[in-house]
Amino acid sequence: MGFPGFLKKYSGWIVLVCLLLFPLSAGTLVSGFYTSLFIRIFIFGLVLLGFDILMGYGGRPSFGHAMFFGTGAYVSAFLFKYVTSSIWIALGGSIFSCALIGIVIGYLCIRSHGLYFIFLTFAFSQFFFLFFHSWKFFGAADGMSGIPKPTLGFLFDLGDRTVFYYFSLGILVVGYLLARHIVNSAFGRALVGIRQNEERIAFLGFDVHRCMLVAFLISAIYGGVAGCLFTGYQNFVSPAVYHWSLSGEILIMDLLGGMGTLIGPLIGTAFVIYLGDFLSSWMHETWLMVLGALYVIVILFSPEGIMGLIKKINALWIQKDAV
Amino acid sequence: MSVDLFFTNLLYGLTIGSALILIASSLSIIFGVMGVVNFAHGSLAMLGAYLGYSLILWKMNFWVALIISPLVVGALAMAIEGFTLRPLYGKDPLLQFFLTYGLAMIIGNLVLYFWGSDPHGIDKPILLQGPTSIAGIIYPKFRLFVFIFSAVLAIVLWLFITRTTWGIILRAGIHNRELVGAFGINMSTVYTLVFALGSALAAIAGVILGAMRNINPAMDLDLVTSGLIAVVIGGLGSFRGAVLGAFVIGLSESFGAQLWPGFSKFTVYIVMVAILLWRPEGLIKEV
Repeated sequence: MGFPGFLKKYSGWIVLVCLLLFPLSAGTLVSGFYTSLFIRIFIFGLVLLGFDILMGYGGRPSFGHAMFFGTGAYVSAFLFKYVTSSIWIALGGSIFSCALIGIVIGYLCIRSHGLYFIFLTFAFSQFFFLFFHSWKFFGAADGMSGIPKPTLGFLFDLGDRTVFYYFSLGILVVGYLLARHIVNSAFGRALVGIRQNEERIAFLGFDVHRCMLVAFLISAIYGGVAGCLFTGYQNFVSPAVYHWSLSGEILIMDLLGGMGTLIGPLIGTAFVIYLGDFLSSWMHETWLMVLGALYVIVILFSPEGIMGLIKKINALWIQKDAV
Repeated sequence: MSVDLFFTNLLYGLTIGSALILIASSLSIIFGVMGVVNFAHGSLAMLGAYLGYSLILWKMNFWVALIISPLVVGALAMAIEGFTLRPLYGKDPLLQFFLTYGLAMIIGNLVLYFWGSDPHGIDKPILLQGPTSIAGIIYPKFRLFVFIFSAVLAIVLWLFITRTTWGIILRAGIHNRELVGAFGINMSTVYTLVFALGSALAAIAGVILGAMRNINPAMDLDLVTSGLIAVVIGGLGSFRGAVLGAFVIGLSESFGAQLWPGFSKFTVYIVMVAILLWRPEGLIKEV
């Protein structure tokens, strides 16, 4: 086992230990700004885990995934402001409402494929956007501000950035382990089978629509959890959480990282969010043209994304070892 | 709603609809022939509108701008097709959609970068300024021009598709690309020309719609979603369907804005979802 073999085997642990130690250095080695950057990466990473199960494994690209993120965010905003400050109840509420929406919309959408699936999910997410864009109770286009900080219980204060960092990291790790368990199960293999050849899987006795509905539901729940964390962290929601450009960014993160790998989309998320932060400080919103260009290059030259590149480099190392 | 207001709305809806025909039908032809759902279609229309705006700002005649801007956009579209879309033919059609999404991001933000985020108005030719009266209804001359101009252009396009050899090749390509290639027709050239022609039509629509309303960096999504919804309502790849869809959108925009201000877009999406669920192939199923 050479150097890359060691890296391959323990890279997950190395990254996790680095992330666990990171906040200790914040404020001394690097500015606290990076803590909030990482929190954002963790939150969007959760969306991407769910999205990757649907698109990377199941082969149904949703172009309206912001509807689950947004629903989680708005439901939590409502709960925090008017009902309770407990993040656990908000998480439960987000999961419940996203599951409900996921079942109804999933039931209507999963029968269609490819471009039609894209159009349908897009149209449904636009409903939500237009609705919250004009609903006065939720502040219409201005959104809701002044949402109180959530509480965690056990004397921890989620208003503290470091506590929120560990909390969202914990949820991301749990989410990742769950997602890995799902895709390695018989159900996960059936999903891959459906992506490759839907009829064959149906002949094997699987209920294809039911499998896809479950995948849709899982991805909806991941989106809702992330939306809840988003509100808990920002104390502010606006209809931007439902915007189609967010759905597009989710798609881009997945493709850039390498779909159907779970780790790839997480790398893609970190990459896009870091790049966005770095570039938008002097390019403002037009940084998206750089992202668009990178995305076009990836589609043209490396459709497997960053994970594909890593695999190629890995293969080179193995060749070198053999020599 | 009084009778006069009803007819004004009807006329305005037909005006928007006929301009949208240019966007929707070119989107539909590009899909029919190349199998590409071009998400950057609205961005190319927006680019055309901004180019027209700048040309007129440089003391150029409106009509000259209306010719030059589509030519520039068409040339750019040729480059886009050759460098980015061509390597993807024969692969997963979804990849092409994802690619055009990236292109839309690039074009949209380039426009934002060079022209800024403020909306602008395109100066109309003096001949077409002010209102006119038709059958007792006061209506702006320019809107009337947009209606007649795009209707004529749409009819020319229809004749081109149904009456010329080029149109026959196009329609044959929609049915069976390999067979057309086997007859010795270079499909690669046909693809390039179709994409360029479609994008030029989008640019024309961008300029006249921009002059009728205004131009702003958000109009790309507005145009591409209107176009996509029109195409989905009428059936992907169908010219007549695109015409039908464009009028549905145009009328629902003009009447919806009167009847339920702020909610007119809702009706459009409800129609879209209903048709996708009920008849995914669209209302009209033919080429």
